[in-house]
Amino acid sequence: MKLLTHNLLSSHVPGLRPGGGFPLRIEAAEVRVRPVPFNAAFVSRLVPRLRWEALREAAESLGRPSELPPEPLPDYEADEEFLRRLHHVLLEVEVLEGSLQCPDSGRRFPISRGVPNMLLSEDQ
Amino acid sequence: VHRLRSVDNLFVVVQELKDYQFKENKEDALKDLEDLVKKLPWTDPLKVWELNNSLKKKKTKRKKHNLQSPASREKLSDGGEEGGADQNNTNDQKDCAQNPVAVEPSGGQDTENPRGVASRNGVEEEEDNEQSDVKVEAQASSERGTKTGDGQTGEGEAKVLRFRVTCNRAGDKHSFTSNEAARDFGGAVQEHFQWKADMTNFDVEVLLNIHNNEVVVGIALTEESLHRRNITHFGPTTLRSTLAYGMLRLCDPQPTDIIVDPMCGTGAIPIEGAAEWPYCYHIAGDNSPQAVKRAANNICSLLRKNESKDSSTALGVPLDIIQWDICNLPLRTGSVDIVVTDMPFGKRIGSKKKNWDLYPACLMEMGRICTPGTGRAVLLTQDKKCFAKALSRVGHIWRRAQTVWVNVGGLHAAVYLLRRTSERAEERRPFW
Repeated sequence: MKLLTHNLLSSHVPGLRPGGGFPLRIEAAEVRVRPVPFNAAFVSRLVPRLRWEALREAAESLGRPSELPPEPLPDYEADEEFLRRLHHVLLEVEVLEGSLQCPDSGRRFPISRGVPNMLLSEDQ
Repeated sequence: VHRLRSVDNLFVVVQELKDYQFKENKEDALKDLEDLVKKLPWTDPLKVWELNNSLKKKKTKRKKHNLQSPASREKLSDGGEEGGADQNNTNDQKDCAQNPVAVEPSGGQDTENPRGVASRNGVEEEEDNEQSDVKVEAQASSERGTKTGDGQTGEGEAKVLRFRVTCNRAGDKHSFTSNEAARDFGGAVQEHFQWKADMTNFDVEVLLNIHNNEVVVGIALTEESLHRRNITHFGPTTLRSTLAYGMLRLCDPQPTDIIVDPMCGTGAIPIEGAAEWPYCYHIAGDNSPQAVKRAANNICSLLRKNESKDSSTALGVPLDIIQWDICNLPLRTGSVDIVVTDMPFGKRIGSKKKNWDLYPACLMEMGRICTPGTGRAVLLTQDKKCFAKALSRVGHIWRRAQTVWVNVGGLHAAVYLLRRTSERAEERRPFW
């Protein structure tokens, strides 16, 4: 699971308050870094759609020093170094084993071989 | 032309007979076909076939080509542009049999997904014999000799080729079977050319496509149908990559679009997406653990193909898989640009009865995760009645923009392009 995906995921355990399912807390047992071709325009256009704080927390929880500033820099479109760091965090760091935890309900969703299992059991 | 992504098979047409009257009697009908062989204009198509062969083998026989005179090398590079597929292409034609890996998207000359053409193999591409190329070929042909597989430098005479005839027949009123037609046509071909018949190790595959009263004779340019590229692990209803490509094109992905297939099965659509639209982000999901496993395996195969020669790690692709329930997607509201999926037809997967509940639930969830105003969905289904009913219930979030009829394994299915209205969805719809 890449961190860009994580930024879009939200827990859907029934009965949560609105927005209560985001962001999921990552507990990573195994992480892999794999290079992905960099495209500045692609990364830069993603910025407005990201939940920035959640992304920072996610990066930190993976034990990576937070390479990202507290907020996207002004004029980030032109700042290639910033974009490259963002690209790295979003696409090149993958959680292979671990789990995602719903912030409100505490319910855990396992991640196995890079694939999170978000299925709720029958009784929920 | 080999790079066209929505084409299943490529062949050069020898002759197209639009309204062929088959004799009632089987023997007569077959005899007619045999006679046809002598009357067909074989020379030009065969030259195209030779050219195609040499292009295919160019990668492996590079050394041989370098020994050739500059004139013929130039001619080969002209031939590379013959199809006009992509004017910017380099001369690397990859061998078709190895399933070309992500190449830049084909330029001007594209074929749309089958529009109401009920053909057996998806789209058939006809290759025009352009006059200029034929002329150039005539000059160089004596030099090139025959460039069939074994790399013998020919003396300018046609050597004995091995061939087979494949007959595809559709229609009720024929007095003969495809096997009979193939056999007799093949016999005539053998007599005419003195080629050797070989069903498995052949150089030339002659195609005899009979569809009711239309007969098309062609010579195959692709060795196996291109519809299985990118997929190594198949499931019960794996979508052809060519169809997946067509569906993706229909939703016109823009760079940075987030594209989700929430019922991905073996992942045919997201994998095709990641290969052809690498500047979008693709998410695949399914509720079935087998499907998820197969999709993951297919991605591994794709990554292995992408391995660069220099490094040992394969480059990643902008694609992730998640196991989830389509009726309750764990995605933020309005976070996704495009939803593309092959909905369960209710035949091999699920049932028509289940679809009555499933379809509306799907459309609601897809509507919730899609960005209002700019979002779109491209959905394939054969259960058109159920779909239409479900769509009428969600008119406040989805508007039908276009419908394309397709033939999927003999079933009359439809691909619906939907546009997301500007109405915002509730954060979480009430518990069903």
